[in-house]
Amino acid sequence: MAHVWPIGGGKGGSGKSFITSSLGRLSAELGKKTLIIDLDLGAANLHTLVGVPDPQKGFSDFIRKKIPLLEDTVVETPSANLFLISGAHDNFDIANLSYEQKIRTLRAIAKLDFDRILLDLGAGTSFNTLDFFLISQNGIFITTPEPTSVENVYRLIRSIYFRRIRYCFNVTEFKELEVEADRQFGDGSFNRPDSLMKVISRTHPEKYTQLNIEFDAFRFKLIINQVRKHDNAALGLQMCRMMDKHLGLNMEFLGNVAYDEHVHDAICQQVSFLERYPYTKTATDLREIGKQIVESAGRQLTLRYM
Amino acid sequence: MRKDFDQLNYYEMLDIKPDAVPYEIRHAYNAALQLYQPGSLVSYSFFSDGERRAILSLVEKAYQTLINDQSRKDYDATLISRGEIEARDESAPDLKKPVSVFHISRGPAARTVFISSDALKNKISQSRIITDILAQSELSGEDLKQIRTELGLTIEHIAEETKIRVNNIRSIEEGQAEQMPPAVFLKGFVKSYLKCLGLDSVEELSARYMNTVSRPK
Ligand SMILES: Nc1ncnc2c1ncn2[C@@H]1O[C@H](COP(=O)(O)OP(=O)(O)O)[C@@H](O)[C@H]1O
Ligand SMILES: [Mg+2]
Repeated sequence: MAHVWPIGGGKGGSGKSFITSSLGRLSAELGKKTLIIDLDLGAANLHTLVGVPDPQKGFSDFIRKKIPLLEDTVVETPSANLFLISGAHDNFDIANLSYEQKIRTLRAIAKLDFDRILLDLGAGTSFNTLDFFLISQNGIFITTPEPTSVENVYRLIRSIYFRRIRYCFNVTEFKELEVEADRQFGDGSFNRPDSLMKVISRTHPEKYTQLNIEFDAFRFKLIINQVRKHDNAALGLQMCRMMDKHLGLNMEFLGNVAYDEHVHDAICQQVSFLERYPYTKTATDLREIGKQIVESAGRQLTLRYM
Repeated sequence: MRKDFDQLNYYEMLDIKPDAVPYEIRHAYNAALQLYQPGSLVSYSFFSDGERRAILSLVEKAYQTLINDQSRKDYDATLISRGEIEARDESAPDLKKPVSVFHISRGPAARTVFISSDALKNKISQSRIITDILAQSELSGEDLKQIRTELGLTIEHIAEETKIRVNNIRSIEEGQAEQMPPAVFLKGFVKSYLKCLGLDSVEELSARYMNTVSRPK
């Protein structure tokens, strides 16, 4: 089964699509049959970043059942080994996928025959986005060194954590937990996964143990993009430390990607940044991260609890 | 779930070992302030104001307790009685004797350990010279030397950290193929050297260096 890498995080413009396309190219160059799927529906632009300006088919054809098999919506790109399922021509949000459509999509992704599958999930935190993160241990979070973007990443991570807990309980049980968390820890704490976990440790010790095993298995990764000269280069490591210490979540820092004006130039000229500007610090950073990703393996968690 | 922050002992709060020397305690305290201060990007939106205040006051308490010999001794005693840490080894330097502490933190071997890689990485990303060098397609011995000097590191420091002999480091920086260790060793040496400078992308940079030096001039 392919390794799936859900990619999301910081707010729009932080570079999720640029990085997804770059990592896709690198993985393809390193000999892996690689598929990138644009699930940032409504703001889809992966196709433009990998040189397919007008894809003839895409994800919406699968959702509308015009094309029954997801694999038949795949298009080639000008790069060898690199394939795309485009999100262009989609005018609905991923948040609006019905439960049935989502499950059908997740099942279909799990069956695709590729070595690596990268999902560009955009910036949202809808339940559907969270579920796409939960199909793999290897979620990648991208942020820039700006408070707005960092804030979004933390929110997304908490939401994923929360969503995973939610799957362990039925509606009534979960309501009780929320009430209990609110009673013990006060206002708003039913929104906090760590408060919920504290309650669960007492009310449902077996589930608590099971959830901890699940959370320990996550191998989330963090990339800081658009790092400028005077930014704190240790931000990524420090954020990982925060999440470990205060949420008990493993998060591995993959690296910084330097800010470079040439990224803009390459996108405007519609050429591959990595090919056009291979000796920039940014390109070196991307290659280093790409290598780590291509080499690392991870277990799928697909659908077991959905 | 790990323990709540207020359930951690002071060493855990500051992320240091129970045998940390005062220099490390101070360093860890500053690092913790960087994380938790209001306005810190790292913990932006992570805590409510109240939580942040509570954490900062614990960090302060941890620091004040551990930095003072007597209060640290008392605190250690309670941890030992709770079985959280072990009594210090007899042969380890007695914290009450200022001389031995002084000796540890000033010894050359210990000092090198404390040039934290965070600090190096910051220097690297802020130095125009280094960024320019790293953006080139070639990486010569001369370039390496320039990066090292820019970071204020001595050859002796590199030798100490990497256990590579000083004359080998010199020949790497001079880029003289004839004087260099055999290629099989050279690659490893160059990698440790680059890592010691705090550079990322060590694999790629070492390959760049190997290409540059082996090319006839
Ligand atoms: N490392 C970088 N250096 C400079 N500019 C960048 C970098 N990464 C992204 N950008 C710029 O940010 C813009 C938005 O990137 P994009 O990948 O579309 O963001 P997202 O998908 O997160 O909304 C790009 O058009 C590009 O100009
Ligand atoms: Mg995008």
